[in-house]
Amino acid sequence: MNTKITEPIKNIFSAQKAPIAMLLIFITMLFFKTPFYTSYNLIDLVNSNSTLLIVAMGFTVVLVAGGVDLSVGGVMTVSGIIAIKLINSGVSIPVAVLVSILFGAAIGAINGYLTVYQNTEPFIITLGMGVLLTGVAQELTTARPISGENPAFQNLANYKLFGVVPALVLVMIVTVIVVVWLLRSTSFGRNCYAIGGDYEVAKYSGINVLSTKTLTFVISGMTAAIAGVMLSSWVNSGNSTYGDQTALYIASAVVVGGTSFAGGIGGAFKSLLGVMFIGVLSNAFNMLQIDSYIQQMLLGLFIVGIIWLDCYARKVKTETV
Amino acid sequence: MDKSHSDPILEIKEVSKAFPGVKALDRVSLEVFRGTIHGIVGENGAGKSTLMKILSGVYQKDSGEIFFDGNKIEDITPVQSMKMGLSIIYQELNLVNTMTVGENVFLGRFSEMGGRKEVHAKARVLLDSIGCKIDTEKEVSELSVSDKQMIEIAKALSFDSKLIIMDEPSSSLTADEMLELIKIIYDLKNKGISIIYISHKLDEIFDFCDVVTVMRDGHVIATRNIDVISRNEMISMMVGRTIENEYPPRPNYVGETVLEVENINTKLLKNVHFNLKKGEILGLVGLVGSGRTETVRAIFGADKVKNKSIQIDGKLVSINNPIDAIKHGIALVPEDRKIQGLLLQFSVDKNISLASLGELTHYGFINEKEERDISERQIKALNVKTPSGKTRIQLLSGGNQQKAILGRWLELKPKILVLDEPTKGIDVGAKYEIYLLMKKIVEDGGSIILISSELPEVLNMSNRVITICNGRITGEFDPLLASADEIMAKAFEF
Amino acid sequence: MDKKITTQSIIAFARNNLIILGIFVLAIITTFVEPNFLTVENLQNIMRQFGPLIMLSLGMTFIIMGGFIDLSVGGIISLVAVVTVSLIDSIGQVAALIVGIVIGLICGLLNSFLIIKGGAFKQSEALFLTYGMSVVFTAVALIYTGAAPVFLTYSKTDYSIFTAIGEGFVGPVSVSFIIFFVCLLILYIIESKTHIGRSICLTGGNMTAARLAGIPTEKTIVFIYAVSGIMAAIGAVVLASRVTIASPIMGKGYETQAILAVVVGGTALLGGKGSVLRTVIGTLLIIMMSNCLNLLGVTTYIQYMLRGAILILAIWLDNRKQYSEGN
Repeated sequence: MNTKITEPIKNIFSAQKAPIAMLLIFITMLFFKTPFYTSYNLIDLVNSNSTLLIVAMGFTVVLVAGGVDLSVGGVMTVSGIIAIKLINSGVSIPVAVLVSILFGAAIGAINGYLTVYQNTEPFIITLGMGVLLTGVAQELTTARPISGENPAFQNLANYKLFGVVPALVLVMIVTVIVVVWLLRSTSFGRNCYAIGGDYEVAKYSGINVLSTKTLTFVISGMTAAIAGVMLSSWVNSGNSTYGDQTALYIASAVVVGGTSFAGGIGGAFKSLLGVMFIGVLSNAFNMLQIDSYIQQMLLGLFIVGIIWLDCYARKVKTETV
Repeated sequence: MDKSHSDPILEIKEVSKAFPGVKALDRVSLEVFRGTIHGIVGENGAGKSTLMKILSGVYQKDSGEIFFDGNKIEDITPVQSMKMGLSIIYQELNLVNTMTVGENVFLGRFSEMGGRKEVHAKARVLLDSIGCKIDTEKEVSELSVSDKQMIEIAKALSFDSKLIIMDEPSSSLTADEMLELIKIIYDLKNKGISIIYISHKLDEIFDFCDVVTVMRDGHVIATRNIDVISRNEMISMMVGRTIENEYPPRPNYVGETVLEVENINTKLLKNVHFNLKKGEILGLVGLVGSGRTETVRAIFGADKVKNKSIQIDGKLVSINNPIDAIKHGIALVPEDRKIQGLLLQFSVDKNISLASLGELTHYGFINEKEERDISERQIKALNVKTPSGKTRIQLLSGGNQQKAILGRWLELKPKILVLDEPTKGIDVGAKYEIYLLMKKIVEDGGSIILISSELPEVLNMSNRVITICNGRITGEFDPLLASADEIMAKAFEF
Repeated sequence: MDKKITTQSIIAFARNNLIILGIFVLAIITTFVEPNFLTVENLQNIMRQFGPLIMLSLGMTFIIMGGFIDLSVGGIISLVAVVTVSLIDSIGQVAALIVGIVIGLICGLLNSFLIIKGGAFKQSEALFLTYGMSVVFTAVALIYTGAAPVFLTYSKTDYSIFTAIGEGFVGPVSVSFIIFFVCLLILYIIESKTHIGRSICLTGGNMTAARLAGIPTEKTIVFIYAVSGIMAAIGAVVLASRVTIASPIMGKGYETQAILAVVVGGTALLGGKGSVLRTVIGTLLIIMMSNCLNLLGVTTYIQYMLRGAILILAIWLDNRKQYSEGN
C-alpha cells in the first residue's frame, strides 16, 4: 500500500541519484556560456572541495556507526591554528602536523567517551564541543588571522606533484582510499555498519560496540584535524572563522550522497559523491551568476528538504505513533 | 555420528527463574536427544521464551543446572552460547537489515573468516548446503521472512551448531515456504543436529516433531514421544491448571449493544468485527501477535485505520485519534504501562488527572483544586498505596501504578473501557482488587473489553469470549458453557 | 513545572545544581577581586543585558520542555530585525513592529509544520530541520536587504517608540525589562496553569503515553514553535532598537547561548521537566558570569570557550542525574 510512496523516496537516497544529478548539471552547463568548462574551474572545483572531502570521510565513519559529530568544524579550525602557531614558533613541520592530528584524536576521544560510555546524546555534546573549540580558536588567534611565517609550510598542501596535482588533493585521495578500505574491507568497518544498522544485534553478536563506536569519533577528529592542517597550509594562515558551518553542510551533503543519519547505510564513496554534487551545484550556481544569497537560501531549503524526506520516508514505513 | 541417539545433547535440570512479581520458570527439567526434533508448546507466558533465553545466554538462571554436550554451562554470553554449538533463531530475527546476506552470516567475524571474498564464498557454501539459492550480496532488508530464516540457519551452521532452537519460525511463512523449511529441518536432523521447535501451530508439531514438551505457568507438564499423545491431550495439558487466583462472582448486567465494530482491516487484521453489549465484560482471547492489541488500538484511534466502521449506541462515529475516542466515551488502558501508560517522572496526581485535563480546563486554565480532588478521589476509591499524591509514580509498585492508570480512566466514567493485560506483573492481592473494580464498573453501567493472556482470568471474568487468531475472529463462546480447551483450540486455529 | 521542595540533603541539592553554585562562587570571588562588581552601576549594567538573549531563552524553554529543539531562532532574529527596521519609514513604527512579530510567528509555524508532517519527533531530527530553516531565514534576510545593513534615517520619521523599546526607561526600570517581565509573567502562567502549558511537559515527558491519554500533542508542538518564533521576534526588536542598525546576520550565535541558558538554569534537555523561572536564573547566571569574567579581565574568546565547556558539562551532569534517578 505504501510502496508507491516509499519506492521513489528510497530511490532518492540510493547512490544512483547523486551521480545522475551531477551528470544533469554537467549537461545543463553545456548550454550556458560560462567559465564552467575551463580547466581552471574544474581543477579549482576539486581543490576547493578537498578539505571538505577529508572531513566528510571521518564524518561518514561516525554516521555509519549510528553517531554524529558536529564538532568537526571546530576541530578543523583549531588544528589548523595549532599547526601554524607551532610552525611559526620554530617547531618542525612534521612535529607540528603530528601534534595537530593528535589534538583531533584527543577531541574525538573525549566526544566518544561522553557519548558512548556516558550515554549522552552525541549531537548536543559535539555541538557544545564545537562551540568550545570555536572559542579556543578565537582565543588562540585573538580573532585575527595568523599568517604562516614558514614558507615551507605552504608546500604541504600546495606542492604540485607532476607539476599539476596539489599535495592537498593527493592527501584527500589517500584519505578517501583509506576510509573506503576501512569501511569496506576491515572488521572494524563492517562492525560499524552492524552497530549502526542494529545496535542490539551487533552487541549480541559479540562486537565490542563501546570501543568501536568511540573509535569512530577518534577517526572523525583526526580527519578533521588533517583537513584543518591542510587548509591552513593551502592558504598559509590560521583563521578562526573557517569551519563555521562545516558540520551541518557536510551532514547534508553526505545524506544526499546516500549516507543516512539512521546509521548502517551509505559509505565513504557515497559521501564523496554527495559532497562533490553539492560542490558542483554550488559552482554551477556561481557560474550562472546566481546571487550568492539566493544560493544560500537554496542550500538551506535543500538541507531541510533532504533531511525532511529522510524522516518522512522512515515515518511512512511505520504507520503508527 | 559417533554418539548414539540415546545420548542427550541438552540436559536441563530443575532450572528456575523469577522476575519481580512473576515466577517465569519453576524447576523445569527436560532432555533433548541428539538428532531429534523436539517440539515445545504452551500458551503465552508458559515460560518457553524465558527458557530459550537462558539457553542462549540472554538471561541467567536463578538456580538449577544445564548441561550441553556433556559440559556444564554457567553464566554464558550469547556469543559463547553460539560458539558452543547452541544457536537460536528468534521470531524477530537477529539480522542487520542494512547489511548483506553474507555479512550477516558472519556478523562480527569478518576478519576471522578472511575478509570480504572469503565471507561471501563461505556463506555461499553454507547456503548451498541447505539448498538456498539467495545471492549472498543481496541486502537482507529485501528478503522475505522465509529467506531470512535460511540465513539464520546458515549462521547457525557456520558455528557448527549441534542444537538449533527455532522460536515460532512458521508464523510468517506461506505453505510452500513451510515445506522448504521442513525439508531443511529433516536435512539438519540427518546431519545429527537437534532442533528445538517452538510453535503455536499444533499441526506442525504433530507433523514432524519426534518428541514434544508441554509447558504451562513456568512448569514442564509432560514430555512425550509424539506418537503417544493426542491433540486434545496436548491442549488440555496446556490449559488445565489449579486455580491460584480468586475471582469475584461473575457479574451479569448485560443489556443492549453499545458498541458495534466492523470492517477493521490492516496488514494483520482481516475484516475484524464484533459487538459489545452494555454492562458486559467481553474477553478477547488470542495468542501473542494474533491482533488483539491492534484491534483495540484501531477502535481507540491510536492507529490510523481507514474505512473502519464504529457505531456507539447505534450511531456511526468517526474516530481518528485518541482525543476522538475519549470524546465518545472510550478508554484504553494500554498493554505496556511503562512505555505507553505512565509518565514516570511525574507525580501520581498528574498521572491520574492526565485524561481528565480536558474536563478540568476552563477558558484555557486548569483548575488545580479540582485536579487535586480527582486524584484524592481515585487514590481513595482504588486504594492506591502511595505516600502522597505528589510522589513520583515511578516509585510505586506495579500494582499501584496500574491502579493509578485505571483511576485516570475511571474518572471519565467511560462507556467502554478497554483493558489490555491489566493484571500483568501484578501481585495476587492487587489483582483481586482490580477484578472487584471491573465488576463495579459494569454494575454501574459501563462495558469492558478485556484482553488477557491468562485464560482463567478471562474465563472467570467475562460474560462472553471471542477468539482471534492470525488477525481473524475465529469464535465466540459463553464461558459458562464452553470448556477452556474448546476456546483455546480456536485461538490456535490458523 | 515540577518543582520539588525537599528539605533533605543539601549535598543532593549541591550535586544537582553544581553549575549554579559554581557561578555563585565565581561571583563571590569577583567581589573580592573587583569591588566594582557590587555597585549599583554594575548591577544596572547587568540588567541592561536583559535583552534578546532572555527573550530567546524563554521561548527556548518551552521547546526544550516539550522534548524538542530550535536552532532557527538566530535566523528568525536576523529576518525580523531587517524587515521591521526597513518598514518603519513606510508603514510606521507600530505597524512595523506588528509585522515583525507576525513574521516570527510564521517562521515558528513553518518549523512546526515541517516537524509534524515529517514525523520528525526526535530531538536530533528537529535539530537539523530547524538548522536548515535558520539558513533559509538568514538567506531571506540577506536577499531582502541585499546583504547591506538597514539603518534608521533620523532626519525624517519619529522613532521614539521604537528606540524606547531598547533604550527607554520608565522611572528606574528599563522598558526592555518591563517587556521581559510581562512576557515572563504570561509564559509562567501558561506553563503552570493552563492546559496547553501542562501539555508541553507531558509531551516532553512521554509523547506516546500523553497522546494515548488524549493530550493534543501535535497542537502542543505547533504552540511551542510559535512561541519560540514570537519570542525571537521580540528579541529581534529589542536588539535592533538598541543598536539602531539591523544587519541580516545579527542573529548568528544566539541559539546556542539560549540553549545554554536553558540547560544551565536546570531545565532538562530530555524534556518533561523545567520552568521559565529556571531559565531566567540560567540567563542571569550566564550574564553575571560574563560580567564577572569581564571585570576579572578574561578575554571574550575564553568566555566563548567556557560557554561550550559549560554546555557539555551541564548536559553530562544532567544525564547522570537522570540516570541516578532511575530512568
